[in-house]
Amino acid sequence: MPWYVAAAVIAATSAKVGIIWDISWHRSIGRDTFWTPAHMAIYLGGVLAGTACGWLALRTTFSGVGAERDAGVRFWGFRAPLGAWVCIWGALAMITSAPFDNWWHNAYGLDVKVLSPPHVILALGLWAIQLGALFLVLSVQNRARDALRLYGVLAAYMIAILLQNVATIGIEQIGFANLAHNGLYYVVAAGAVPLLLVAAGRGVRLRWPATTAAALYMAFSLVMIWVLQLFPATPKLAPVFNPVTHMVPPPFPLLLVPAGVAIDLVMHHVGAGRDWRLAALLGVAFFGVFFVTQWFFAEFLLTPLARNFFFGVDQWDYSSRVGPWRYRFWRSDVNPVTPRSLLVAALLAVVSARLGLWWGNWMARLRR
Amino acid sequence: MTSRPFRLAALAPIALVAAAHVGSPDTFFEGAAGPYTVRVIVRSPGVVPGLAQITVRVLAPKSVRRVLVLPVYWDPRTAAPPPPDIAARVPGDSTLYGAALWLMTGGSYSVQVTVEGDAGTGTALVPVMAVATRRLALQRSLGAGLLAFGVFLCVGAVALIGAAVRESGLEPGADPDRRRTWRARVAMGVSAAVIAAVLLGGRAWWNAVDAAYRSGLYQPPHATATVRAEGGGHVLRLAIDDTSWTNPRRQWTPLVLDHGHLMHLFLVRDSTLGAFAHLHPLPLDSTTFDAALPPLAAGRYRVYADIVHESGFAQTLVATVDLGTPAGTWRPSDPDDAWTGNGKGERGNVADLADGSTMIWDRSAAPIVVDQEAPLHFVVTDPRGRPATLEPYMGMAGHAMLTRTDGAVFAHLHPAGSVSLAALETFQLRQPGDTIRGALAKRLTTMPMGSGERGAVRSGEVTFPYAFPQPGPYRIWVQVKRNGRILTGVFDANVGPAR
Repeated sequence: MPWYVAAAVIAATSAKVGIIWDISWHRSIGRDTFWTPAHMAIYLGGVLAGTACGWLALRTTFSGVGAERDAGVRFWGFRAPLGAWVCIWGALAMITSAPFDNWWHNAYGLDVKVLSPPHVILALGLWAIQLGALFLVLSVQNRARDALRLYGVLAAYMIAILLQNVATIGIEQIGFANLAHNGLYYVVAAGAVPLLLVAAGRGVRLRWPATTAAALYMAFSLVMIWVLQLFPATPKLAPVFNPVTHMVPPPFPLLLVPAGVAIDLVMHHVGAGRDWRLAALLGVAFFGVFFVTQWFFAEFLLTPLARNFFFGVDQWDYSSRVGPWRYRFWRSDVNPVTPRSLLVAALLAVVSARLGLWWGNWMARLRR
Repeated sequence: MTSRPFRLAALAPIALVAAAHVGSPDTFFEGAAGPYTVRVIVRSPGVVPGLAQITVRVLAPKSVRRVLVLPVYWDPRTAAPPPPDIAARVPGDSTLYGAALWLMTGGSYSVQVTVEGDAGTGTALVPVMAVATRRLALQRSLGAGLLAFGVFLCVGAVALIGAAVRESGLEPGADPDRRRTWRARVAMGVSAAVIAAVLLGGRAWWNAVDAAYRSGLYQPPHATATVRAEGGGHVLRLAIDDTSWTNPRRQWTPLVLDHGHLMHLFLVRDSTLGAFAHLHPLPLDSTTFDAALPPLAAGRYRVYADIVHESGFAQTLVATVDLGTPAGTWRPSDPDDAWTGNGKGERGNVADLADGSTMIWDRSAAPIVVDQEAPLHFVVTDPRGRPATLEPYMGMAGHAMLTRTDGAVFAHLHPAGSVSLAALETFQLRQPGDTIRGALAKRLTTMPMGSGERGAVRSGEVTFPYAFPQPGPYRIWVQVKRNGRILTGVFDANVGPAR
């Protein structure tokens, strides 16, 4: 495996670990500085991706052998693989966001809202590093004659990282099992998840690509849940209504493996060239399986059986006034699952699957 | 003065961005933390949520093991504080400790300063107002740097999309054909349009955040001062005519007595600063306060009115008033009212007081510098040059009011610092069950007045811990009480910029 692919994958992993760690930090300790380990993991991702890909671009441009130069795309007179350029762009975006974010805090207050212009630039940078790493893996996978399985798993892993992004951004809509009896929950999940799983199904060279990506997504979450709970933490910001003693883990991941299996089975049986029909089948199959499995799995997650280290669903933010709401479904009275919301979700799943096929086709063609 | 103030329900901030003093956002405190005397300075971050910097100096050195600081929000329903922070000893200074305070909610906090040492453990409470007072400008260099990076990122993104469409799907070594090149150009055009739209959206978003922030900057409630003739004299009326004052949704807590008065009102003659009055208007209702007007010279006056809420929140109302020809008689509406028409009785650092005694500003020739502890130490001597015995004036050995000539700064200080003693008392008396408005204020009224000086000060000395917040020319009025008479010394100071 080329060293720069490994560097990009490690960088993307570090940044994602940092993001999940940072969210846990804000839910457990509350206050932070620039120099928290979570922030360091995030910026390590940016620095590693930026320097590795920057060096790759310089080397390929100025001293690359023919094959290396031929496997690059031109960018303002320089040559490097597309993924490397995307990683470099992401690193620059992260660098830009840091002084902007510092000024923003001084001007308008400390993280008054998570969603702010400098944070959006940071998020774009992180996404670029993750996408860049995916592109690098795919270009190598698509040119490789051996080690296909390794590159396939790595590509599925990068799709899993992107699924983690969906879970992070959608934490208020699809993060907690308590929301899984809401109409919005399924609308958001159906809109976002098939795009990635179907793209994996088309672009990742494995027998069970969507299943693998889904499994890796869940494994990533589980590792974070289990590891974070091991670290002691003390809340340092008022009000402290829930005196947690250890880092609060992220919510249990979406149960995506059955839906991934469904996507892979449909793609095994419907070949390429009939993508509109395939998208309809994929969308319906994904949504049907996901809705049924997640609905009942969420019910399980709210039972006493899930209140343990393995599932980690009994741990809440230091600022929470803990109560029976922890084990109830939220807002299911004001935003219930209705035939209309199910229909909207199914249609969105079809649209998302069609977009996933387009993107997956491009991914399957990526050579540089 | 027991029940009437408490008809003033529904006052005091919660959507609160407010602060005592004008143009002087930092907090200064000097007092006892058990067996230790501490001088505490809290530098306001100017934004909320924000990080305030606190320094604690342990005066009269004793063996100190550690100093702990903890900001506690006033409302017991939401306080739930975390463990305190250990203030780090400042390198090179064995008595100075520093830490950062996380003030996450706008409003009134008490900072608990705990000193642990061989003499035991003692705690001082320091009232601090968390308010947004300023909008930070984007420095030209930072703006230019961000713009350059932004342009690079946008142009780079367009070029990347072009490269992706043109070449990324080609076998290594192959050259793009005309069709791919054309498609790449279309993709670049579309992406440029999308990025432009995103930038416009981002600009609108930033502007909206900025506008919302500006609207939340602290402004004291609007007040209007007027004068009317009554019974051979003149009466000054201050009316708080701000819609937020009576809006029940603002959830203001009631006003509390500070040194026995609901309001401390100061009149400063505009431009010349040649006349000054310290009055204590009586409330007619929750918005209107009246005081008999002393025979000040005609002219325009700045009006500053200090009030304190049950939440511990102190703020200064600001107004102006034009005074006509003074009335012949003045019957003070409060025995603590005082005024001086002395334009500038100072000879260097010496001021002649009305009873023949002298007030000396005990300072070296060293220049006074902005943001550095100012030597506000004054000595009063009797006509024979001996230290005068000072009586408590509203519970304090002295009061100092200072203003920058242009009015950009006005502060009311005591030997305990810039903090309001009433705010301090609300925090000392507050109990977890104080969730009913007015309950704490009622207890405050029944206790003997003041956390300040209770006995006479025989040394004739009075010191005010403070640091001037802005450079420029200042006038300082120092008020003390001797033989039952309120005496005012007037001084001028030039404050230099930070070095």
